Amino acid sequence: MPVTDSGTPDDSDKRVSLHEHSAPGEQAVAPQPEAAPAVEVRGISKDFGSNRALDAVDLRIGHGEVLGLLGQNGSGKSTLVKVLAGVYDPEPGGRLFVGGEEVPLPLAPGQASEIGLSFVYQNLALAPGLSVLENLTLGQRVGGGVRSWSPINWIAEHRSGAAVLDRYDVKLDLDRLTGELAPVDQARLAIVRAAEDLRRYRTRSGYKHSVLVLDEPTVFLPEEDVERLFELIRTVVAEGAAVLFISHDLAAVRAITDRVVVLRDGRVVGEEVTADIHEQELVDLIVGAPARLAESAPAVAVPVEDQRAVALTLAAMESAGHSIAVAEGEDVTVGHLIAERVRDVSFEIGAGEILGVAGLIGSGAEELPYLLFGARPADSGTLRLGAETWDVVALSPQRSVRGRIALVPADRGAQGLSQSLTLWENIVMLVEDEHYRGGIFHRGELVDLAREAVDRFLIRPPRAHNTMSTFSGGNQQKALLAKWLLARPRLLLLHEPTQGVDVGARRDIYRFVKSAAALHHMAVLWVTTDFGELAEVCDRVIVITQGRHSATLAGEELTEETISAAALRQTREDR
Amino acid sequence: MSAPAPVDEASQEEHRAERSAPSLWRVGLQRYAILIVFAALVVGFGVATPSTFMSLGNLSNILGSQAVLFILVMAVILPTVMGDFVDLSLGSSLGLSAMTLAVLNVQHGWPVLLACLAAIGAAIVVGLVNVFFVVYFDNDPFIVTLGTMTIVQGVIYIVSGNNSVVIVSVHLSNWIFSNEFLSVPLEFYYGLALFLVVWYVLSFTPTGQKALVIGQSREVARLTGVRVNRMRAWAYILGAAIAAIAGIAYAGTNGTVDPGAGSALILPAYAAVFLGATAIKPGRINPLGALIAVYFLATGTAGLELLGAQSYYQQIFYGAALVAAVTIPKVTRDRIFKRRRSA
Repeated sequence: MPVTDSGTPDDSDKRVSLHEHSAPGEQAVAPQPEAAPAVEVRGISKDFGSNRALDAVDLRIGHGEVLGLLGQNGSGKSTLVKVLAGVYDPEPGGRLFVGGEEVPLPLAPGQASEIGLSFVYQNLALAPGLSVLENLTLGQRVGGGVRSWSPINWIAEHRSGAAVLDRYDVKLDLDRLTGELAPVDQARLAIVRAAEDLRRYRTRSGYKHSVLVLDEPTVFLPEEDVERLFELIRTVVAEGAAVLFISHDLAAVRAITDRVVVLRDGRVVGEEVTADIHEQELVDLIVGAPARLAESAPAVAVPVEDQRAVALTLAAMESAGHSIAVAEGEDVTVGHLIAERVRDVSFEIGAGEILGVAGLIGSGAEELPYLLFGARPADSGTLRLGAETWDVVALSPQRSVRGRIALVPADRGAQGLSQSLTLWENIVMLVEDEHYRGGIFHRGELVDLAREAVDRFLIRPPRAHNTMSTFSGGNQQKALLAKWLLARPRLLLLHEPTQGVDVGARRDIYRFVKSAAALHHMAVLWVTTDFGELAEVCDRVIVITQGRHSATLAGEELTEETISAAALRQTREDR
Repeated sequence: MSAPAPVDEASQEEHRAERSAPSLWRVGLQRYAILIVFAALVVGFGVATPSTFMSLGNLSNILGSQAVLFILVMAVILPTVMGDFVDLSLGSSLGLSAMTLAVLNVQHGWPVLLACLAAIGAAIVVGLVNVFFVVYFDNDPFIVTLGTMTIVQGVIYIVSGNNSVVIVSVHLSNWIFSNEFLSVPLEFYYGLALFLVVWYVLSFTPTGQKALVIGQSREVARLTGVRVNRMRAWAYILGAAIAAIAGIAYAGTNGTVDPGAGSALILPAYAAVFLGATAIKPGRINPLGALIAVYFLATGTAGLELLGAQSYYQQIFYGAALVAAVTIPKVTRDRIFKRRRSA
């Protein structure tokens, strides 16, 4: 199979290549590191405040090479991609070479396409309401001036669109609405579009280098479709582009890449030829310390420091005339939960226990809180809370709230808090009915209650009448937590509760949830892709891979490394 | 919904830190801007035409002449506060109600009270149709109510045979228009009573607070356990019923019902609601603001008429006031934020 240098600049547009595809995993031609690489970065660093996201990263992508970029969340993968895309400006001192020539950094937004870089992100950037053809040619319509008034010859467009699809051996109906395509076909369309941009760049400029950057392209694809995506990637490489393949998915990386580079904490910690490295070695590189030699679990802080904040939620309920027995909490049992991306998951949470759920993006773990709250439809499953048993299919947010189940969604800006309302209105949202007595709405009481919550949950600035959108991420998250804890839930469902939250607020949130669980005997389900966080706050962690409950970790085994290893290693093994 | 997009902590925090709460002075200015302009308008017209503008007759005229519009505004405000920004069919519901009342009372000899109830019933049917297509099928309210508005208008022409109908019942016009209390027609007080009920529910009950959350962030409301669709449905139905009351007031005021009744009122009603949203509680649809807006607009047009302008200048005044009211706060805010946005 021809891999290197087949797409020379003077290739005719009419040429339609038909390739035979080699068997998966058989990357016939090894890259030639000696030639000037397609793209090379040297010493790229990026700081966010005092936090160093990238630390002197060197990376080279050879012609016709598929380079895998691996690393956990927060390892710097996305930051590096955004530097290449011109979204972030790197710190001075970093250098970028494209086709052997230096390009001054930082890149301007949009400049990447002028130097032969093209990006396909997880969200694909396709317009679902437009046809395949329209999406394919969308990039050529951008830009103003006289050209935007020149007529479009749809017949010719149709013909050239068909030729483009043919060139990459992708069979799609050009007139179908893009939104109706299967996810894998949408991904393939996005890749074809990006690859075609690169090919035009090579033809136009006469350079032979170009790099297609694929950021997590396989995350939401069913296993059986991944191979079709790989065939396309191989065709793109055969046409002459190099590929930077960013993924969590070890099986995918091993199947498609020639070499891998592993990032950890913003540094390159490993650079290997894919065929020469074992999966276990790769996992060790990604997570750091060898996972099998897990050290003793970090000491778990006793959750009594913030009894005041939690006591407030009890007081709130008493003032509202509730007298709920606090002495004993209730166990939670989830049985045979099945939904679109969840395949028969069962688990229990004891009263007062914090159960962590670990899973990579796309594993189905991130669905659990929404399914158990009734915010998204499930196919089947039961939820037992104390003596009551619900059918998960029949759950709705109203019923969940009445049954005192709480959901702290990851998207706090759009789903958790109303940004245009004030802080106090958000905090008391769930308890305001109790302050309407005899036809009079006791707003004063509610404002006082919110002020107390602001005080005890350490929300800054302590201004109850300020609009929600003026608060920082950490303070918004504390407000969201306060809102739900005031309703004294029996089961608290958390999804990425510290996403976009500064370190101080993160500590506060850990403490509040821990003490709430301990004092209220509340069951907590904590779902996040930040495995260090799970190791720190959870009593027990279940691992979800491919929608299945694949491992349970507790006690000594509960470290960031073991959780990561479990989540990574089991990916796509159990087919 | 897919997995959350990665959030860049540092840049987000930076962004937040720069935004500060608007000063009390600015909030106050925005909140009472309409009242201030209102007062200036009254003083200006008072100085220009002291004998006519500042007379009791003019006050009674302003208060009384706007009663139908004001009742319709209370109908409009219900769906609007929950984020369903247009129910175009409310105007034709008003017309349908007025025509139903007239036809049943005059041509079929129904007692007035019974005809009124039938009128309200007819409008509620329109509301239910809207609920079915907008809430149940989750369609765009603009498109659906554009359709129902047109259908209802057609029904009105069929029922009336494209003729105006003169109402003979003296009771109706007495109890709505002719009888006065403190020299203001009774219909003004009906509108005031409706306003008090709507104001109480929207501003002083948890139900109103929930409606507000639905309007501001529907997804937050849903995930907080608010029965979003049920409340939206009630808004459409009650809105239609109140529009029917406005239709009855219209019939009583004018004594005749023409097939086009109501279609001219719906846009001024929306103008008042959105203008009202810039006052008292800026950024929120609120009944008190709408009340002020209705009479601000009425005062402006009455003053212009006394100065000799034709009544159709009213339209220009309405439109200009609305556009100015929503734009001016943005201009001042953008000037303050411009530097940050470009940074």
